Amino acid sequence: MGKKINIWYFSSFLISIAVAIPIVTVFSSFFEATGNYSSILKNTFLYDYILNSLLLLIGVLILTFVIGVGCAYLVSFYTFPGVNFFKWALILSFAVPAYIYAYSLTAFFENYGTAFSILKNLFGEGNYNSFIPKFDGMMGAVISISFSLFGYVYVLTRASFHYQSQNLIELGKNLGFSKKKSFFKIILPSARPAIVAGLSLVAMETLSDFGSVSFFGISTLTTGIYNAWISFDDLTLANRLSFYLLIFILGLFVLENLSRKKAQYHTPSKGGVKSKTLIKLKGLKSFFAFKFCATIFFISFLFPVLQMLYWTIIFPKHLTDLNLIELFSNTILLVFLSSIVLISLAFISNYGNRVSRSKFLEVLTTFSISGYAIPGIILAVAFITFISWFDSNIVNFFGFKSIKSIFIGSIVGLVTVYFVRFYSLASNGLKSGYLKINYSIDESAYLLGYSKFKTFKNIHIPYLKNSMFLIGILLSIEIIKELPITLIMRPFNFETFATTAYVFASQDLLEAAAAPSLFLVLIASFFILITSKYILKD
Amino acid sequence: MKKILLTVLMLSLFKTFALANEVNVFSARHYDSDIQLYEKFTAKTGIKVNIVSGKDKALQKRIIEEGAESKADLYITADAGRLGAFASKGMFQNSLTPAIKAAVPSNFRTSKWTGIAKRARIIYYSPERVNANDLNGMTYEGLADPKWKGKVVIRKSNNIYNQSLVASLIKNNGKKATTEWAKGIVANMARDPKGNDRAQILAVAAGEADLAVANTYYLALMLSGKKGAEQQAAAKKVLPFFPNQEDRGTHMNISGGGVLKNAPNPDNAKKLLEFLLTKEAQEHIVNNTFEYPMIDGVEPHPLVKQMGLGFKQDLNTKVANYEKNQAVALEVMLSAKWK
Repeated sequence: MGKKINIWYFSSFLISIAVAIPIVTVFSSFFEATGNYSSILKNTFLYDYILNSLLLLIGVLILTFVIGVGCAYLVSFYTFPGVNFFKWALILSFAVPAYIYAYSLTAFFENYGTAFSILKNLFGEGNYNSFIPKFDGMMGAVISISFSLFGYVYVLTRASFHYQSQNLIELGKNLGFSKKKSFFKIILPSARPAIVAGLSLVAMETLSDFGSVSFFGISTLTTGIYNAWISFDDLTLANRLSFYLLIFILGLFVLENLSRKKAQYHTPSKGGVKSKTLIKLKGLKSFFAFKFCATIFFISFLFPVLQMLYWTIIFPKHLTDLNLIELFSNTILLVFLSSIVLISLAFISNYGNRVSRSKFLEVLTTFSISGYAIPGIILAVAFITFISWFDSNIVNFFGFKSIKSIFIGSIVGLVTVYFVRFYSLASNGLKSGYLKINYSIDESAYLLGYSKFKTFKNIHIPYLKNSMFLIGILLSIEIIKELPITLIMRPFNFETFATTAYVFASQDLLEAAAAPSLFLVLIASFFILITSKYILKD
Repeated sequence: MKKILLTVLMLSLFKTFALANEVNVFSARHYDSDIQLYEKFTAKTGIKVNIVSGKDKALQKRIIEEGAESKADLYITADAGRLGAFASKGMFQNSLTPAIKAAVPSNFRTSKWTGIAKRARIIYYSPERVNANDLNGMTYEGLADPKWKGKVVIRKSNNIYNQSLVASLIKNNGKKATTEWAKGIVANMARDPKGNDRAQILAVAAGEADLAVANTYYLALMLSGKKGAEQQAAAKKVLPFFPNQEDRGTHMNISGGGVLKNAPNPDNAKKLLEFLLTKEAQEHIVNNTFEYPMIDGVEPHPLVKQMGLGFKQDLNTKVANYEKNQAVALEVMLSAKWK
C-alpha cells in the first residue's frame, strides 16, 4: 500500500471516530451508577414502551414502504396524466416535518378543530365532535411520521429505478414474466440497497422521534428515555436506554447485511443508462395510478400546508410579527455551512473506505452512523458532556484556553453536532451512489496513470454529482426542519423558523406556530423545486 | 469556502467576547409577550437582554456543563419544582434583593429564586352534566371517588404540572395514601391520558368527560378568542371549580427565575428580576399570559377575574417543596398505571 492510501484511510478513520464520539459518550453511561427509575420502569411500563416502539416502527415501515416504493415504481416505469408533476411533487412531502404534520393533523381533527368549523359552516350547528375521527395516539403518530418520511424511500428508490432503466422490464418480458412478476422478482430485488437505505433512515428517525410521539402522548422507549432524564434526573439511565435503541438498530443492519450476503449491486459498466421508453397506462389503470399519486400528494403535502395557511389567514398578526429576514438568513446560514461540511467529509470517508477496502473501516463507519438512531437531544447533550470533559481533562491539562465557548452555544458547535447527527444521511447516500460505480472504473483510471486523488476528483465527483445534489437537498431539508439540537446548541438571540415554531407551539399557540411552520415548509419546498429540475433532467 | 467558515468562526468568537452592558437569559418559559417586556427593560435601563429559549432540562444541562465558562445570567422557567431541582444542584446564587423580598410573598420564593407569576391547577366541569351541588366541598382527593368513574380527564403522568400537583398531595397526605388516590384517578379516567391542558378542557366541552384538571390560564386563553371562535364557544360550555376551599386551598404553582452561580452579569440579572416584579411588568404579564400577578396591587386579566378571584390559595404547602416530591410523584403515578 502506498502513502496516499494511508491518508485516505486515516481521514476516513478520523471522520468515523468524530461521528462516534456521542455514541461512546452515551455508552460510557454503563460505567456510571443509575437511580431507581430502572426498577420502577421494569415494574411498570417497560414492556409497553418496547411494544409501542415496535408497533410504531412496524406501522411506519409498512406505510413508508408501500407509499414510497409504490410511487417510485409508478412514476419511473409508466406514463399517466400528471406523472411529470408527481415526479417532483411527491418529494415535497419532505418539506413537512413530522411535528408540524402532527400539529396540523390535531388541529384539523381535534374537538372544535378545523373539521368541526367546516362542518358547522356547511351544515349549521351540530354535535360533530363525536363523528369526526380522531387521528391521535398511535394512529396519529404513524400517519405523521410516515407521511413526512416516506420521501426517503421514494427518492432513493426512484433514483435506483432510474438507473435500472428499461433493461430490467425488458429482461422480465424476455423471460415471459407478467408486470407483477417482473416487479416482485426483478425490479424490487435489484432496488433493494436503495429501498433498505431509505427504510433504515426512516427506522432510525422513527425510533429517535420524540416531537410527534410526545405530542400524541404515546409511550414509546423515547418516553422512557425522557422520563429517566427529565423527571428522575437520571441521565445515565437515559443514555443506557438510548444505547439499547441503537443496538437494536445495529442489529437490524446486521440482519439486512447478512441476508443480502455477497450479492453485488453494480450497474453494467458498458452501455450505461439506456434511454427509457415508458409504458403508457390507459383507462382505469391510468386513473388508479393518477389517483394513488394524487392522494399521496394531497395527504402528505397539501393537507398540512392548507391547515397552516388557514391559520395564517385567520390570525395574520402572527405573520406580521415575524422577523422574516433574520429567520431566513439564520436558517440558510446553517443549511449552507452544514451541507458543505457534511458532503465533503462524507465524500472523503467513502472514498477512503473504497480505496482501502478495509473491513475494519466498514464496520467502524456502520457503527458510527448508527448514531442517527439516538434522539437528537440526547446526542446534543452527549456532545456537550464530551466537550466539557475534554475541556477540563485534556485542554486544561495542556494549559490552553477553554474551548467550551467555541463549541457550546455557537454556530461552530451547532454545525458540528449537525455533522454528527446527519452524517449517516450523507454517508449512506454517497455509499449507495458509490455502489453503482464498478471497481473496474477505478482500476482503469489507475491504469491510465491517474492518482488516487485524481480518480476521486475527475471521475468519482462528476459521476456522483447527482447523488451529491440529492444528498444536498436531503441535508438542507433536514437541517431546516431540525429542532432539538438547534434549540440547545444555538447562540443567544439566534432563531430559525423551526425554533420559532417550537416556541409558539410549546405555549399551545399552534395558530402562531403556523406562520413560521409555513415558511419553513415553503423554503424547504423551494430547495426541492430548484434541485428537482436538475435531478429530473437526465 | 474557507473564508466563509473563518468569518463565521470569528464572528461566533467575537460574540462571546463582546462585553456590552447586557444580561443573558436562558428561558424555558417563552412567551412572545416576555420578549416585549425585555425590550421595555432595555429601553429603561440601557441593558441589552440576550435570550436562548429552549426545553428546561436541556438548558439546565448546558448551563451545568458550561460551568465557569457559562454566559448565562438568569434562568427562567415555569414550575416551582424545576427551579427547586436546579437550586438543589447549587446552580443559583442568592437572587434576592430587598425590592424582591418586599414584593414577593415568602411562600413563592427562596433565597435562590423567586416566582414571577402564579397559576392554579384547578378542576373544570360541565354544568350540563354535573350538578353544582355535587361539587360542594370538592377536593383533588375527591377526584378519586368512584362516583366519578369514567368521567375524569387529566394529562399524562410525565406532565410537570401533574407532578407538582401530586407532589403537593404526597406532602399533605403521604405517599401511601397518594398511591391509592392515583389508582382511583386511573380508574376514573374517561380515556387514556393524552393531549395538553387545553385538550382536557375541550374533552369536557365535547362531552367526552365531565371533569377535567388543567391550569387556570388555558380557559382564559380560549375565552379570549385568541384560539378562534370555535374554541371560544367551547370554553363557554365549561366552568372552573377551585378545589379544596374548605381545607388547605387550591394548588398553586409559579413561573419564576433565579440568578445563576457563574453569572457574568449578576447585577443586571437582579435588575431584570426586579423589573419583572414591578407593577408595569406584572400588568403586562397578566394581560398577555392570563397568569395571576405575583405582587399585590395588580389585577389579573378580566377573564381570569371572571373565573373567580376570592378563592383560597394553598399557602401552607410551600412551592419550594415540590421539587423534593416530584420524582416520587411520578413513581406513584406510574405504579398506579397512570400512563
